[in-house]
Amino acid sequence: MLRSITGMNNGLSFMKQMLLSANVRCFSVAAVNRVKEIIVTKDNKKTIIEGILKPSDRVNLLLDPPADTNHEACSICRLDVDIKHTDVLILSQFMRSDGGMLPRRVTGLCRTQQKRMSKLVTMALKAGLMPNLAPANSKRDPARRDKFKKNHRYFDESTIRPPFRMKYPEDRSLH
Amino acid sequence: MRNIFERVKQWNTLTRIWHLYDAKWQDPFDSAKVIQKYLKGLHKPIYHPLADCGDHVVVINCKEIAMRGDEWRKRAYFHHTGYAGGGTYTLAWELHDKNPLMIMKKAVYRSMKGNLQRRYTMERLHLYAEENVPQDIIENISSVIPQLRDVPMRLDRMPEDQVKGYPKIWDLPKDYVVR
Ligand SMILES: [Zn+2]
Repeated sequence: MLRSITGMNNGLSFMKQMLLSANVRCFSVAAVNRVKEIIVTKDNKKTIIEGILKPSDRVNLLLDPPADTNHEACSICRLDVDIKHTDVLILSQFMRSDGGMLPRRVTGLCRTQQKRMSKLVTMALKAGLMPNLAPANSKRDPARRDKFKKNHRYFDESTIRPPFRMKYPEDRSLH
Repeated sequence: MRNIFERVKQWNTLTRIWHLYDAKWQDPFDSAKVIQKYLKGLHKPIYHPLADCGDHVVVINCKEIAMRGDEWRKRAYFHHTGYAGGGTYTLAWELHDKNPLMIMKKAVYRSMKGNLQRRYTMERLHLYAEENVPQDIIENISSVIPQLRDVPMRLDRMPEDQVKGYPKIWDLPKDYVVR
């Protein structure tokens, strides 16, 4: 009974921002991007290592950038949303399955946003919001932590230094 | 008594309302500032320090409170036994291990001015570590204080199709080896 009264939050603030913002964005089918998969086959006295290209599973889910976008900007500067450390559905797109951050040559972000994203990822991992993205035997699950680390922690994004300039809609006239 | 709304307004003002507050993932010190207003009756138009018009607040999930950044190990609680050398400093996470209600209780107590009324106001605060509240207290509750922060959702507890089907803001490069 108590839960039905008070449990009303789902932490998907990015989704809310996206639905409320003025730009109407839709899904698009872009040119098929491919991702390499390496397959190792072992016969007797013979080991075959082959790399095959297969379509990325993100293709049909890619966001269309806003119509008046600056095409030189990176994928985050293009969106005019303020990403928080609780937006794990966004942050997990920049991570490997073992919880490491992808490098800038892969993510294609600008220097500022890459640094900001990595700090947000650190905050989310410390808060224990992505325990499934972890190597085996890690203590990213708060239930496995001890002392002060087992309690709930939240972070304030304004403490990220240096203060990164966010791109807001009124900035678009400058570009 | 002119109409039905005026009647209900009078009940709401002059009776003691029982409010429910879920402290899950809430900052205890920010929450205390809100809770103490309900305890003292500051939200009522008839408020006066001597009017005794405060409400009851039932706080559940006190064990699941959240603190900002490093505060669990930076905040220390001082206690002195009165004997020489009897002072101790207990870190917030140590105190929370010993008594999950104490941080919330001290936060509300310290958010109020130290006067003769404070101890009586604190009597109207009911703290529970989890969601199990006695039935005779649940029956009184008729109002909910909204939470100050959204409870964050963990990635491993989201539905699989929601994670997979969420819009992606960038695509992996052509020769990236997925792992
Ligand atoms: Zn950028």
